[in-house]
Amino acid sequence: MKTMTRRKGRTFYKQQWFILMVVIVAMAAATGIANPKFFSVRNLVNILEQISTLGLVASGATVLMISGNFDISVGSTIGLSACAMAMLMKRDVAEPLAVAAGLGVAILCCLFIGANSLLFKAPSFIISLACVGIYRGIALALTGGTIQTIYGKFEYLGSTRYCGVLPLLFIVSLVGYLAVHFILARTRLGRRVYAIGSNRNAAFLSGIAINRNLMTFFLINGILVGAAAALLLSRVGAVQPATGAGMELRAMGAVVIGGAPMTGGKGNILGTFTGVLLMGVISNVLNMLQVSPYFQDITFGLLIIVSLAISAMSQKWQK
Amino acid sequence: MPEPLLDLANIDKSYGGNPVLRRVSMDLLPGEVHCLVGENGAGKSTFIKILSGAVRPDGGTLRLAGGSYSSLSPQESMRLGVSTIYQDIELIESLTVADNIFLGHELPAGIPGTVNIREQERRAGALLDMLRIRLDPGEPVENLSTAQKQNLQIAKAMHGEARILVMDEPTVSLGVDEKKALMRLVRELRAKGLGIIYISHFLEEVFDIGDRITILKDGEKVGTYDVAAMTADKVTRLMVGRDASQFFSRERSTVGETRFEVSGLSCEGVEDVSFSVARGEVFGFGGLVGSGRTELAEALFGARKRLAGTIILDGEKLAPASPLEALRDGVCLLTEDRKRLALFMNRPLSENVTVAHNELFGGALLSFALERAQVADMLAQLKIVAAGTDIDAASLSGGNQQKVAVARWLLCRSEVLIFDEPTKGVDIGAKAEIYRLMTDLAAAGRCVIMISSDMPELIAMSDRIGVMRGGRLAGILPGAKAREEELIRMFMG
Ligand SMILES: Nc1ncnc2c1ncn2[C@@H]1O[C@H](COP(=O)(O)OP(=O)(O)OP(=O)(O)O)[C@@H](O)[C@H]1O
Ligand SMILES: [Mg+2]
Repeated sequence: MKTMTRRKGRTFYKQQWFILMVVIVAMAAATGIANPKFFSVRNLVNILEQISTLGLVASGATVLMISGNFDISVGSTIGLSACAMAMLMKRDVAEPLAVAAGLGVAILCCLFIGANSLLFKAPSFIISLACVGIYRGIALALTGGTIQTIYGKFEYLGSTRYCGVLPLLFIVSLVGYLAVHFILARTRLGRRVYAIGSNRNAAFLSGIAINRNLMTFFLINGILVGAAAALLLSRVGAVQPATGAGMELRAMGAVVIGGAPMTGGKGNILGTFTGVLLMGVISNVLNMLQVSPYFQDITFGLLIIVSLAISAMSQKWQK
Repeated sequence: MPEPLLDLANIDKSYGGNPVLRRVSMDLLPGEVHCLVGENGAGKSTFIKILSGAVRPDGGTLRLAGGSYSSLSPQESMRLGVSTIYQDIELIESLTVADNIFLGHELPAGIPGTVNIREQERRAGALLDMLRIRLDPGEPVENLSTAQKQNLQIAKAMHGEARILVMDEPTVSLGVDEKKALMRLVRELRAKGLGIIYISHFLEEVFDIGDRITILKDGEKVGTYDVAAMTADKVTRLMVGRDASQFFSRERSTVGETRFEVSGLSCEGVEDVSFSVARGEVFGFGGLVGSGRTELAEALFGARKRLAGTIILDGEKLAPASPLEALRDGVCLLTEDRKRLALFMNRPLSENVTVAHNELFGGALLSFALERAQVADMLAQLKIVAAGTDIDAASLSGGNQQKVAVARWLLCRSEVLIFDEPTKGVDIGAKAEIYRLMTDLAAAGRCVIMISSDMPELIAMSDRIGVMRGGRLAGILPGAKAREEELIRMFMG
């Protein structure tokens, strides 16, 4: 048989992100007909703002999940980091300094999980499970459980809209997506993410330094989570230790909806982006149609199952 | 002529528009060993996976056990008496030997839903004894060597009422001794009236136990022949499409000064091993499976902790604490277990080839142009058959996966290349290609260390052969004068 070098990727219309885009557009069209307010500039801008935080967190989760890791304490980390920022701002620390400190807290939180998982050869999933309580507890102890309001400070990030339609929040989250995309697709570090997630032993035997690289992945996650905390604080203007709770599940859900398997080694940022967008649009649609918030949780749960079903089907086709 | 046990007629299969099998037919008589041969990627594994229910055919019929089917599920196939040993090991690592044998039909204990572990281990022990496989039924599979796992697969397939036994390259990781035991076993099963489909790249095995032989080429059937009426040369010619010598004879270049020197090396499983490799030399390691060869290789590569001993390359002492350090020192290792320790199965072929090179020589940013050139070069050099460079390693045929693993290390320009079973699962033509590459590496002054359980290969390729026995180096023989019988005697001690 002759050797062929012809490139023949999976045709784009079979890929998860494309299917999701079709779903999003169809859903938007249907909602727009039922309630024309859906297409109002205000509502669309609103959607973009709402998914900015989730976008950053999901970008970090993409890196971790492809590498075969999980951080389910990101919700608590956001709470802790945002509380730290808010408390410093309340004490009149300069905003950039306060944000830097909060970012540092988030990075430490994430590195702590990576380090423990390496040190004790335990899955990061379990370590981060333990950290959910630790980080929330620290936040509670620091704030005494009270809400931290920053009264009009640090508004620039959350309220700026270029030309009245393009929120700065969304631009920041877009930068997050692009950075992760660049890392995954164009750098050696990205290859290591895939290699370690695909077969850790083989990666080690191919000369990849496992420990150093895993710590780098957790560092990237920490930066993105810290940035997400800053966005959240600026948009809402007040935070409390429970802020961010549930974010980890929605972020991981978005990554899975985007087509990355839980087993690692596969996935891309385009999938995550469409996953996040789909969640944002559905949430907005449910609000527009005045569905009870209880059903929203049910819907997100079902959405994850449906998207797993889609990946399972598309794998079966290939057999 | 007796009624055939099995008749596969006009089987078609294609993947994403690339035909892999084109109207292939084959039948199987009771008490027959029917061999299936062909180059890497010819479609052998796909063909038998259609019989075992792992793959759905696009067309054709399967007639067996009085019924006619257009496709089978794995359960149906088993129920109809087909038992399959796949090319890749499919065992559950965390379970014991006995648990794996009884997987899916566990023996019940008193309380419903519980498993009678003692009875399972007893029966597993009896089965293993009957098959002359030395394994402890209570041993967790993760502690077994590749060859032991291969043996366990056979035992697992033999358990139950199989009438058709399918073996896809069962001898690839077996030693001489185990190979003989397997051949004997196959003969016994044939005498019991089983029909056996046997896939192998070793023609001597085909001529040893085969009754009929079917040759596949590029997904098409060349023909079915009586083994008695064929010669190895004829089979090769039909398979490869040209004359090819089956036994590679190496031109030996003169060896130069000593470059790589190991003295007093000990690690878990290896004790006090000393040897040296000269410029341009191919140093072979023979021995029974489990004699410590792989462990020695891992210790040299920094993948296994060394307890004592020194390693010297070109006068410099090396002490690699990880594979990365070993690679930087100029030592690379092709691991034996490609599925578990070498390949990234769900990543593209190209990434699998370039990963180590990127670690060693790459910058932070990837150079796609360079990668494309490298991969294209390797595809051509090793004649890797693939539908594209971005298809996953998992969808390559077994032999082509092996070539991808070899390609990874050829790119790394290491001074010392350790190859652990380099031609595992590789067809005759590609074997010769790998031998030629190894010879070229040696001729260019590199040190090549080859671990092999394939006797003719070991003798033909090695300048010297180190024989390992029970973790120690039992002796070093000159390769040119080594005789198979003499080596086996040394292996056994
Ligand atoms: N899941 C898959 N997707 C795409 N192509 C596949 C898939 N499985 C097998 N192929 C292709 O089908 C062809 C035949 O593969 P197969 O494994 O049957 O070869 P083989 O004859 O067993 O080779 P070997 O001697 O190397 O084991 C190969 O070119 C392989 O790349
Ligand atoms: Mg095969």
